[in-house]
Amino acid sequence: MRSRGFWNDVKKYRTLLLMLVPGVLFFLLFAYIPMAGIVLAFKQFNYSGGIFGSPWNGFDNFRFFFDSGDAWRVTRNTALYNIAFIVVNNGLQIFAAILLFEVAGKWFRKITQTVMFLPYFISWVVVGAIAYNLFNYDVGTINMLLHKIGMESIDIYNTAAYWPVILVLVSAWKALGYGTIMYLAAITSIDTEMYEAAEIDGANIFQRIRKITIPNLMPTVIILILLAIGNIFRGDFGMFYNMVGNNGLLFSSTDVIDTFVFRLLITSNEIGMSAAAGFYQSLLGFATIMLANYAVRKYDKDHALF
Amino acid sequence: MRRKNTKFMFLLAMIVAVSAFLSACGGNGGSTNAQTNKPAESDSGTAANTVKEENTGPDLSEEVKLKMLLVGGKPADYDEVFGELNKLLKEKINATVEAEFLDWSDWTQKYPLKFAANEDFDIAYTANWAFYNDQARKGGFLELNEDLLSTYMPQTWAAMPAVSWEQAKVDGKLYMVPNNNTEVTDKVVLIREDLRKKYNLDPVNSPETYANYVKTIAANESGFNAFGAKPADGWKWHELDQILLEQQNEWNLVDYSMPLAYKLEDASSKVFNVYDTPEFRQLLDYYKDLADNKGWSKNIVNNKNDVWQDIKAGKTGSYAQNLGTVAFNLAEMRRDKPEYEAAIVDLTPDKKKIGAISTQNGMAIHVTSKHVERSLMLIDLLQNDKEIHDLTMYGIAGKHYEPVGDDKYNAGPSAANYTGFSNWGWNSQLNRSDASYPVEADEILAGWQEKVYHFPLETFVFDDSKVKNEVANVGNVMLRYAIPLEYGLIADLDKGQEELNKQLKSAGIDKIQTELQTQIDAFLAALQ
Repeated sequence: MRSRGFWNDVKKYRTLLLMLVPGVLFFLLFAYIPMAGIVLAFKQFNYSGGIFGSPWNGFDNFRFFFDSGDAWRVTRNTALYNIAFIVVNNGLQIFAAILLFEVAGKWFRKITQTVMFLPYFISWVVVGAIAYNLFNYDVGTINMLLHKIGMESIDIYNTAAYWPVILVLVSAWKALGYGTIMYLAAITSIDTEMYEAAEIDGANIFQRIRKITIPNLMPTVIILILLAIGNIFRGDFGMFYNMVGNNGLLFSSTDVIDTFVFRLLITSNEIGMSAAAGFYQSLLGFATIMLANYAVRKYDKDHALF
Repeated sequence: MRRKNTKFMFLLAMIVAVSAFLSACGGNGGSTNAQTNKPAESDSGTAANTVKEENTGPDLSEEVKLKMLLVGGKPADYDEVFGELNKLLKEKINATVEAEFLDWSDWTQKYPLKFAANEDFDIAYTANWAFYNDQARKGGFLELNEDLLSTYMPQTWAAMPAVSWEQAKVDGKLYMVPNNNTEVTDKVVLIREDLRKKYNLDPVNSPETYANYVKTIAANESGFNAFGAKPADGWKWHELDQILLEQQNEWNLVDYSMPLAYKLEDASSKVFNVYDTPEFRQLLDYYKDLADNKGWSKNIVNNKNDVWQDIKAGKTGSYAQNLGTVAFNLAEMRRDKPEYEAAIVDLTPDKKKIGAISTQNGMAIHVTSKHVERSLMLIDLLQNDKEIHDLTMYGIAGKHYEPVGDDKYNAGPSAANYTGFSNWGWNSQLNRSDASYPVEADEILAGWQEKVYHFPLETFVFDDSKVKNEVANVGNVMLRYAIPLEYGLIADLDKGQEELNKQLKSAGIDKIQTELQTQIDAFLAALQ
């Protein structure tokens, strides 16, 4: 009875299933099969043995990370930064998407969208260089402006306290356009009849946003956030490395797992140790996404990922 | 309505997942490369066979294409010069060569990956500062023996001093054909002589006169950095440390990734932590004084500019480098920017000098190379065939260089189109010197030669495999605590030094020190 149902379904949804095939193959090839490489985290890698032939060395590869005394600090930094990015970026993106949706002028909307999208395409290396020219003490734009209005220069690159704010702002600036378009697409797919009905009932624009747009956006928001949470223990290396570089004074508040591991291993080229760090991040990420999904399920079954 | 939204969301979720995955791919892709390990036993087999065939020499009937890994940017006229080279090679050893260049910006990341992924190449540039020991120990290079060398590189075998081969051995085994050239590793400083004269300063020849130069320039020239450095690339020392800490005190640091040194004159070579010495404390005062007098930018640790380009552009007043590099800069300055006058100064003229060991530059054979014999023959020609050596070192005569006699040259009209990569790997006695090479650099070098100090640990190389975790963590501490301290960014020096040493302790410096001392003692014992 059940199996007949299954084959029926296969037949019924064959077109959809066919469309699923490339995606499944992709993940199988690039995500599931390479997962076997995890064994490297427990091996003393050498060229003659390769991935599977190298000798095992237990948890030795993890030692460098936990012996450093910094494991907790960088893990905490990574998670906190990512939480800040998720909250701030998604908040701003939803806000911008609703604004753009409500603005009538087609030209204005297109131009704004394009301008907001631009930073997304700028490489972090370039952003790092722009930041240096903005923030540096001697000739930076910000300090020049402060001078002009008779204020003291601020030493941004040697003051760790500024950096969490700077990094969150830069991340928001860069991700704004991309996320806005995603949310704008979601808003556009909301049934317009609801708005028409609301308008006839005399709802003003704020009421429409609060009662129609936002509730209808929630499923999208939850999915995007759930997906982002899976990566909460992976720092955006390009961003942190290019913004902060090797400035030791800032490490206390800017070091994330990725930059920390990079710095420790860049000269030793121990593949096993890097694999161990990656494995640690994956494990934490897996645990978080399971928990988050469980929490969402509790709250509303339909909104959960699985 | 509900349904419509679910479909949309599914699509959206897919898109996000795929794009997130694609972006993650960039970082993780490296580990997915499967290893195909083909041992090189067939090579040594055929090699042994051909040796037995007596005077007929190696079998050259089959044409082979060799691949060579070099570091540095690909020169603009690569095709032309290597095209010429391949004509010669075809004639002499029935082979052609193709070089792959790993750009300076990221060669440290790509180089080990080439080996890890076991890419197809035969020859690789290597050096004691370019993964030689590391890759040799990991099994990336083919071990070379006397048989192979004397058979396939007769000229090199004849020309190379025996001590150079000895210096190139790792754990008693040879993996490199070192360059055959004498160098001194001491560093010097390039200053703006015109500015020194402008402010009527004493000639710069000591740490004190240099400090005076830096402070005066900083006070009087606005928008100008008296000293420039590039610590943003992860270098763990103040760029003047080699001069002011090592050369000045006649110490030798074992490895630039940890702060452990011994005194050159100490026969027992007791290792100590340089950060825990009064000399270092004094140096911190010296640096702090320069920093407080705006001797360098407050944001020097975030500077990513090429310091030499800043000097050439008239924005920076001095930097520390090898004599050879600085001499080259000086010649370039005279050619391109005659309005600035630069000078090379040695801040420690009376101290002992350390000669470069042969592994400063060299070429090695990839362990999985299928053309070992031909590769060795190629290196032989590169290093010791006058025609090929000239071509590969200086480019095409009349275009990239003008030969002057047998041992000198002048830069040709398109000299800039064939330079900037590691052809130093086959430096040899056939090297020509630049006719415009600054005389003062030659004089400094000549003065140094007699002060070169030979000591038992000259060729000692630390094997850090037992203390990898500690070395990684100590390096991190240096970057985080020592660099800001040395660049004068921390107000309280005593507290800074104390914190630095405390952190080093918890990172495991003592364990490294014990391991290092054990290895040094064993090395010295083996010499007797």
